[in-house]
Amino acid sequence: MATYELVLLKNMMQPGYAGSLKDYENAGGYQALKKVLGKIAPGDVTQTVMKSGLRGRGGAGFPTGVKWNFLPKDYKGPKYLCCNADESEPGTFKDRQLMERDPHQVLEGIIIACYAIGAETAYIYIRGEFVLGSQILDKAVAEARAAGYLGKNLLGSGVNIQIHVHRGAGAYICGEETALLESLEGKRGLPRVKPPFPATSGLYGKPTVINNVETLANLPHIINRGPDWFASIGSPPKSTGTRIFCVSGHVKRPGNYELPMGVTLRELVYEHAGGMRSDKPLKALIPGGASAPFLTPQHLDVKLDFESVAAAGSMLGSGGVTVMEEGTSMVWAALRLTEFFYHESCGKCSPCREGSSWLTQTLRRILAKRGRMEDLETLTQLCQNIAGRTICAFGDAEVSPIMSTLQHWRHEYEELIREAEAHREKELPIAEARH
Amino acid sequence: MTPTTAAETVRLTIDGQTVTVPKGTLVIEAARQVGVMVPHFCYHPKLAPVANCRMCLVEVEKVPKLQTACSTPVAEGMVIRTATTVVNEAHKSVLEFILANHPLDCPVCDQGGRCDLQDYSHQYTPTTSRFIEVKRVYQKEYFSPLIEKQMNRCVQCQRCVRYCDQVMDVNALAPINRGTMTEIKSFADHPLDCEFCGGCVQICPVGAITSRLSMYEFRPWMLKRAETTCAYCGDGCSITLQTKGNDLIEVMSAQGVGRNNGDLCARGFFGYHVSTHADRLKHPLIRRDGKLVETTWEEALEYVAENAMRIKMAHGGQAFAGLIASRCTNEELYVFQKFMRLAIGTNKLDSSARYGHVNGVRALRHVQGTHRWTVTFEDIAKAEALLLVGTNVTEANPITGLKVKEAVKKNLATLITIEALQPAIGTISNIANLSAHHFGTHPDRFHAVALGLIKALIEENLVAKPLVQRAPAFVKAIGDAVKTLTWPAIEREIGSPVAAVKDAARAFQKTSRAVILVGPGVLRQPGGAGLMTTLLDLLLLSGHHGLAGCGVAPLAEENNDQGAIEMGATAEYLPGPAELGDPAARQRLAQLWKEEPANAPARTLLEILDEARASTVKAMFVVGENPAGSLPPAAKSKEAMEKLDLLVCQELFLTETAALAHVVLPACSYAEKDGTFTNSEGHVQPVRRAIEPLGESRPDWEILSALSVLMGTPLEYGDAKEITNEIRSLIPGHGLLGAGPTPPKPDDATVTKYLTEGFRADLSARYALSKTDWPAGEFTLVSQQSLFHSGKFSTRSKGLLQIQSTGSLALNSTDAARMGLADGGRVRLSNQQGEMTTTVKTQDRVPEGMAVFPEHFDQELRHLTGMAVDPQTGVPYCKTVRVRIAKA
Repeated sequence: MATYELVLLKNMMQPGYAGSLKDYENAGGYQALKKVLGKIAPGDVTQTVMKSGLRGRGGAGFPTGVKWNFLPKDYKGPKYLCCNADESEPGTFKDRQLMERDPHQVLEGIIIACYAIGAETAYIYIRGEFVLGSQILDKAVAEARAAGYLGKNLLGSGVNIQIHVHRGAGAYICGEETALLESLEGKRGLPRVKPPFPATSGLYGKPTVINNVETLANLPHIINRGPDWFASIGSPPKSTGTRIFCVSGHVKRPGNYELPMGVTLRELVYEHAGGMRSDKPLKALIPGGASAPFLTPQHLDVKLDFESVAAAGSMLGSGGVTVMEEGTSMVWAALRLTEFFYHESCGKCSPCREGSSWLTQTLRRILAKRGRMEDLETLTQLCQNIAGRTICAFGDAEVSPIMSTLQHWRHEYEELIREAEAHREKELPIAEARH
Repeated sequence: MTPTTAAETVRLTIDGQTVTVPKGTLVIEAARQVGVMVPHFCYHPKLAPVANCRMCLVEVEKVPKLQTACSTPVAEGMVIRTATTVVNEAHKSVLEFILANHPLDCPVCDQGGRCDLQDYSHQYTPTTSRFIEVKRVYQKEYFSPLIEKQMNRCVQCQRCVRYCDQVMDVNALAPINRGTMTEIKSFADHPLDCEFCGGCVQICPVGAITSRLSMYEFRPWMLKRAETTCAYCGDGCSITLQTKGNDLIEVMSAQGVGRNNGDLCARGFFGYHVSTHADRLKHPLIRRDGKLVETTWEEALEYVAENAMRIKMAHGGQAFAGLIASRCTNEELYVFQKFMRLAIGTNKLDSSARYGHVNGVRALRHVQGTHRWTVTFEDIAKAEALLLVGTNVTEANPITGLKVKEAVKKNLATLITIEALQPAIGTISNIANLSAHHFGTHPDRFHAVALGLIKALIEENLVAKPLVQRAPAFVKAIGDAVKTLTWPAIEREIGSPVAAVKDAARAFQKTSRAVILVGPGVLRQPGGAGLMTTLLDLLLLSGHHGLAGCGVAPLAEENNDQGAIEMGATAEYLPGPAELGDPAARQRLAQLWKEEPANAPARTLLEILDEARASTVKAMFVVGENPAGSLPPAAKSKEAMEKLDLLVCQELFLTETAALAHVVLPACSYAEKDGTFTNSEGHVQPVRRAIEPLGESRPDWEILSALSVLMGTPLEYGDAKEITNEIRSLIPGHGLLGAGPTPPKPDDATVTKYLTEGFRADLSARYALSKTDWPAGEFTLVSQQSLFHSGKFSTRSKGLLQIQSTGSLALNSTDAARMGLADGGRVRLSNQQGEMTTTVKTQDRVPEGMAVFPEHFDQELRHLTGMAVDPQTGVPYCKTVRVRIAKA
């Protein structure tokens, strides 16, 4: 089995490493900050990050330095950095580990990002269920403040930076960056209409950058070891650095694996995650969290980088890889994810709000062997009518399980429906109306 | 503003048509301009776009995805297509989603026939639905006795929620739950506690929020419409009275129309049933054997004419007096004063403008030579600084209040308030909550804050330089006057620190557009006339006076207070208004009337009552006015009325005064007649007949005209329009002036006269602090307007009574706790005049040491109030009283 150098998970894999400030400093932590503060111009930090090719680890994969560059240059008022720690994508659990096991690595990244964009205040918007993570972060922030890494006049550089940890209240949609901002402002977490983009009008209407936890955690390493080092990892030039792949499902060793981008799905599943748990063949996998379309065994040699996965018809997304073995009902799998999206649709715009309940009900009916052949046409059309017609990307995400399972395993739907038709002696009412 | 240069405009193509629109225009609005209506639910021109319904998707050339026309601003060279197959399919699919869970209960939905969802469905959708799953069902809920909520019909456009927040600043509604289970609820699902503006009902594009007042009584296409003007407050909102047969069904107000631009208040939206109340007088009444009995118009009018002629022969015109309500139309006010001044020959006449508005107009005339505001509602919304003095603005003048909210919330104006009620958490319709500089004190100390602001201007060297050059004597005299007032004395009196006063003065002075709004807390309180003048001094000193968009604006509490004065229905003013003794005005009238108006002394309301008690006045014509019901016992109006040989009342209802009359003539309400009202701004607006007169009732001008014929001085008019024309020929510039008023400019000669000499007259009285110190343990009880009523008139509206049916005493919770009182607890109020008991409702917007009672339910309270009369303007003051309060 090929082994690779760990970057983000390195500290926490050391025996006895508890993630305290002392541990982190002993492992060389906060050196990057000292290197940057007052010594490298903020614009040059941004240039370094651009040069490294770092792209967002939250799902969309937008180049981080470019995002920073969108902030208005001569803006005088306050700017904000938001660390998106609302990790809620089913099958994704990397940020949680980064925050719980090595919180200072995240904080150092945040401080460097604040310095680069000129923000004095950063918010960590952490998923409400991550109680432990938020407690650890709170403690880490206090430690960092006591050590002079946070607060006024950091390390005598004249720079002021504050970090506030804010727990969400339990909504998947708050991981969408504008919904996150609304929630942070104390409103209902609903996505905003864009434009304006957060870079010009974000938190409290001020220029704001929103970065994922893993993205930010990479920054100290890019500063310490240089952009060229970072850009040499993975599949340059477009997918550089490592990714933490969260493997779950029917594998022998589910868990987080930090690997350079560009390793194949086959290597990830069969080498690092130990292969299929019951030695049944692999039937399906989701390469990048619940929002990513399903892939099939034919895609096992697809490289795990942004471009290759997209070319295969899915997306690298959040790096959450869910593996399903032979025998799994793909209609059931699609329903399971559709129910999740139904539960989490914020309800702001019509197609997603009404469509998510419609899709769920129809899938449940098909699975309960009460489907009709024309339902498949309706499902397809509903999905087409939702995708691209909503305010945020949730609409595209919620149709991907259905669209991709219909594409690869349409026969499973048809079998269930044929069974239904065989049992149907005559046209029966599909469902009883409730009044 | 109309853009003038190409840089401010953008050219784009919509469905092949080229259109040039201002930069920043939304595609949906640009499309409207070329007659392309893009379907939409959530978009509303008043509200910030949210693009959540997705109905307005259009194709934008070179943009891969469809874009929402409601949130996309135009760009140069943009090519928009709204009717391609792709767009059409998108609209259809969005409709399919929206209709999926809709109950299709159009037959029992009051919105049916004017529903956007129905219209678009008709336009786009196939007749069958593909949705065969289980529909989501909500139970019908009532937001209040007045509003029904049917979430099954909701399209989640959030217009109601956004309106309640962005326009009303009330936030009574909010969505709860998530996704397809999202529901609109009142805060914490409590019964709705809001301004009841009806905005949510009006702005709902479907039948999710409907009014219960006329539920199931109509289909929209059955309704006849009359575009008219609301008859409650001086804001003068344009309303559409919708009627079926002779029933008033509902009130609407269209976006883009009128001074209110579609916004209404509770009174306007829910208060329309007064006109068709069962107690309306339908036949003339005459007193026989001490009782009022029904009679015919012939008998009633002949009785009045005969007896009036008899009294006139015996005692002359000076034995007559007349009172008219300023709720009447301009035409009626005009004919009334003409009847009194010409047919009867007396100047003993007055209108309800005497209760306060006269104070405002008198000061404007005195200082700047105008009788109208020098600003408009638009100027309020655009003001950079707003000073509110005793306005209680949301309650007294709700739509003016909206302009203030717009100025503060949208245009970030600096709001300075001198008000009795204080900011408090959890209170709606509380303008002080938006204030940047709030001075909370009792109404009789408002003037001390104004003096403080003037002292700050002078001491901080903020007096406008041009004024110092133009009127050094004025500036010096004011400077000397404020020098005698010490800061500690001012601080003690107003309860705010000197630094706060200076901050406010600086904030006010540094702006280039400043408006001072003056409300009943000034105009109806002792010293009101003087404080109006002092506020004009403040505007002169700050340098704003005379600048565009600046001015002092007294707010009219009744719908036609302004018209009453302009029509000459107050003793001291001839139509115009012109001073009673003004030879030129008398000359003009003599020419038009073919006879000179009475050359006799003017007598105002209280003087008239005195003369009636002294039997100098023996006969009175009272049109819609009710002194026996609205003045405190101290005015002895009942005794005065009882002394009369002839009391004729023209009324809608048998009021306390009408009950004393010899003859009661049934009059029409505003819904049954034509004419005009003049609002606070001086905008003359149409009143149009919506229903036939109830019973035998007749418009007041018609009754007066009939009497004049019988009395041998015929004032004959074919219809209200003829009267309007006569008024127009007399008063240049009076009339319907288009969409908005054109405010006058201050008259330079008058201002100069004021600055050289006029200001001296009452300077020492105005520039003095109060002398009284109140005994500890007493409360200042203010009788003031509630948001849900207007005078006693609206207490006959079934809709408004469902919101507020009785009066209770509002007290600060600290005061209430000290007395061991909870909401609903009984208290006894007492002072030298008498005592009463009532229930308590704690409200933290009422400061400690103060109590507030709604004036509409003050029958008992009036026994506690004394009365003072303004020596200059004859305005009776009876709104504030000192009382002791104890648990009963």
